[in-house]
Amino acid sequence: MASQFNDIVELVRAPIDPAHLTNQVRAGEDGAIVAFDGFVRDHSRNRRTLYLEYEAYETMAVLKLREIAVSIHENFAIHRIAIIHRLGRLEIGETSVFIAVSAAHRAAAFDACRFAIDTLKRTVPIWKKEYFDDGSVWADGELPSVPSATPSAESAS
Amino acid sequence: MFQSVALAAAAHAGYNRIMATVSQTIRVKVLFFGRLKDAFGGGEDAIDIALPADVEALFAQYAARNPHLQQYRTSLVASCNREFVDWGTTLRNGDEVAFLPPVSGG
Repeated sequence: MASQFNDIVELVRAPIDPAHLTNQVRAGEDGAIVAFDGFVRDHSRNRRTLYLEYEAYETMAVLKLREIAVSIHENFAIHRIAIIHRLGRLEIGETSVFIAVSAAHRAAAFDACRFAIDTLKRTVPIWKKEYFDDGSVWADGELPSVPSATPSAESAS
Repeated sequence: MFQSVALAAAAHAGYNRIMATVSQTIRVKVLFFGRLKDAFGGGEDAIDIALPADVEALFAQYAARNPHLQQYRTSLVASCNREFVDWGTTLRNGDEVAFLPPVSGG
């Protein structure tokens, strides 16, 4: 899904290719790319993790990812962003989320990339189930904050 | 709209007299995710609810039929038509409501 900025915003089930995505956001006018590669850890709270399963409220999750991309452009002097999350079963070491931000200068790219992953973890309806030798558990998460439902807030949007 | 209702009332007065005693209901699509999906035993449902209805009343209707869902109430947020909403949000016919446990992507 390309926005007006040629961003890449996707939920995928196939393995993520970080090198390919990094090249997708790279252009001659840029001087820096900062990337975040989140991948499956082999343990959780002293237990050995076998694999993870991710599920999403897919239509809403894509909307929320797009909102992050729009917000990044509004708040940071960046060029492009790729923000990809994988769903389904993921094995140890596989990339679950990848974000790459290109910019003319490094500071904006660092700040925007950090903002993107932090916002994703707070606001995008995706859930992770951890599988262990002796069972499975839904990972603890963060409860998204809900905007105020006051009439003034609605008219402001 | 009121005009068409009036015409229908004239043509089917008996039918409408009966319907007037029944409170109006709407149908909404309801989605459950994560641990709540496991607790409910499914990810998707459609339900009729009497007006006036808000998101809180919708959850209460499920909790009345499935009391074990009540324990999740304080650790959920709700969305309506793919936007996070307050529990006091009024529902309309055809809305898509989701009950969302704490998110854990990344």
